[in-house]
Amino acid sequence: MSRLSRLLLCCLAIACLLQSAALRAEQAYLDVGIVVFDPGVPEQDTAGADKIFPNIRRAEAVYLPVELRRVMENSGDWGAVRVMPSASDLVDLTVAARILESNGQRLSLQVTARDATGQAWLDQAYTAAAAEADYPVTGDGDPFRSLYTHLADDLRTHLQALSPKDLERIRLVARMRYAAGLSPEAFAGYLGGGGDAPYTLLRYPAPDDPMFERVERIRKQEYLFIDNVDEQYGRLHDNMAQTYNLWRQYRYEQAAYQAGYEQRAESREDNDRHGSFAAMLRDYSTYRSYRMQQQDVSELAGGFNNEIGPTVVETRGKVFRLSGSLDSRYREWRGILRQIFALESGLPAAPAAPPAGADHSAAQSE
Amino acid sequence: MYALSWNRFRSALLGGCLVLAACGSSPPQPARVSVAPVDFSGSWELDFSQSDTVNDAYDHIMRDLQRQIRKQQEASQGGVAVGGMAYGTAAGIYALARMAEIVTEPQLLDIKQTEREVTVKREGSFALECDFGPGSTGVVESPFGREACGWLHDQLVYQLVLPDGLRISHRLTVSPDGQRLQVVTQLSTRSVSQPLVVAQVFNRYDPNRTGIHCTQTLSKGRVCTTEKPGQ
Repeated sequence: MSRLSRLLLCCLAIACLLQSAALRAEQAYLDVGIVVFDPGVPEQDTAGADKIFPNIRRAEAVYLPVELRRVMENSGDWGAVRVMPSASDLVDLTVAARILESNGQRLSLQVTARDATGQAWLDQAYTAAAAEADYPVTGDGDPFRSLYTHLADDLRTHLQALSPKDLERIRLVARMRYAAGLSPEAFAGYLGGGGDAPYTLLRYPAPDDPMFERVERIRKQEYLFIDNVDEQYGRLHDNMAQTYNLWRQYRYEQAAYQAGYEQRAESREDNDRHGSFAAMLRDYSTYRSYRMQQQDVSELAGGFNNEIGPTVVETRGKVFRLSGSLDSRYREWRGILRQIFALESGLPAAPAAPPAGADHSAAQSE
Repeated sequence: MYALSWNRFRSALLGGCLVLAACGSSPPQPARVSVAPVDFSGSWELDFSQSDTVNDAYDHIMRDLQRQIRKQQEASQGGVAVGGMAYGTAAGIYALARMAEIVTEPQLLDIKQTEREVTVKREGSFALECDFGPGSTGVVESPFGREACGWLHDQLVYQLVLPDGLRISHRLTVSPDGQRLQVVTQLSTRSVSQPLVVAQVFNRYDPNRTGIHCTQTLSKGRVCTTEKPGQ
């Protein structure tokens, strides 16, 4: 063999190695969808230090997932990480959470993470406490960054325990679930399991299967839509960050003052004669201060809404729909994609979920 | 003509309240309703000319107690004569009167009312809040006191019981034409047999008559503008 041939063979081998490494690297990344959090607003009104302000909780349900998304993106462990209005077969790993507590002092989330095969990665509560030094919040800081980091670390631990083959399987199942969602008639037979049982890949279409190519094209279009939605969530987060951080700081300070006040009031020596003016005045003043503190927090919540409210309303067509009607808009968009697919493939489209209160004009304008 | 009917209305209400107050220390419990029977919303300012002063209330209760003592003295006939009101009772009434000064101090009320709640913001004091929506008990419990609220026919009633035994209740009644609000505040304690009752009258007023509209914001505090809301 000539030197030139050996050199060529060597180059070819290196190229093959690089390509396979690149392929492996690409395959190792899972795309993550973080579903807008459940605000966790109870039906019954709450009182005292645990009082929940529903409007603020709804804003937090959009704000907090963006924080998590940014931490996960910065870790470099994942493919695309997106905040989504609702769960979808589009992604390889879905992270959802319910806000259990959020008051400036503590943040507590009940988090679930499930991959496309239906395998639960985690289902647990994460709690972090803020310290006095965390306020005022500067730059892009967050008093509860440790919660997101802890959560991202747990997800990474689970990710690292999976073999490249497992990861590839998850990605393929995600694709096939998406395809089966678009056209069960054509693709349902490729998957086993479902419901409570994990999804398994029975077979996989040929890479040049024209039907599957169509599915991939539709999938990319849906990704474009979701990317747009995700960007809007990010903008909402950035717009409300300053006010929201002030709100958290005030709540932190209020709670600290309240706790100190209650302690002082309980440990105060009761030297006043029963029924005397001094005893009555002491009781009344204590109660008045206690209630005024409580009501100040509600006032602050009102102040928060006065600032954030118009932003949410102003961008209703873009931002508020992300939590409310964007969900239906998204479902409608998926319905349109299904119809396109049915027209192209000649197969009946999968029945789409009826868009609850869908904004037709908004969907059409897309 | 109107002043006469309002005075009659006020006298009837106050009379009713005094009768109820004299009947014992446990006034009828307010009822829970799902829909507010009366609309109290608006801004109200104290009408000094129509309202009792705490002195009036103090004099009234003192006269009443002295009358009772006289009756007891007359009825005792040969028993141990009581020289007058016990020092403890007099001191208790005086303490209640001083408390009443503080409790009835707010001169401006701002009442917000929705389908399920009424909030009476009082200048310089805590707001009286009443949630009568589904699932609400109308009771706010804390280590520092117990607040309850509800409706007594067309009257909105708030009751506060403090740990040392001081009971404060406020009964709100709006006049038939909706322009006047009567707040009857009753203070009682275990050491005095009769409650101290102060009736105040508030007139409706327009807080925006100055042309300044204010909104509470978080980062800028209270923001005021001369523009009308919605402009």
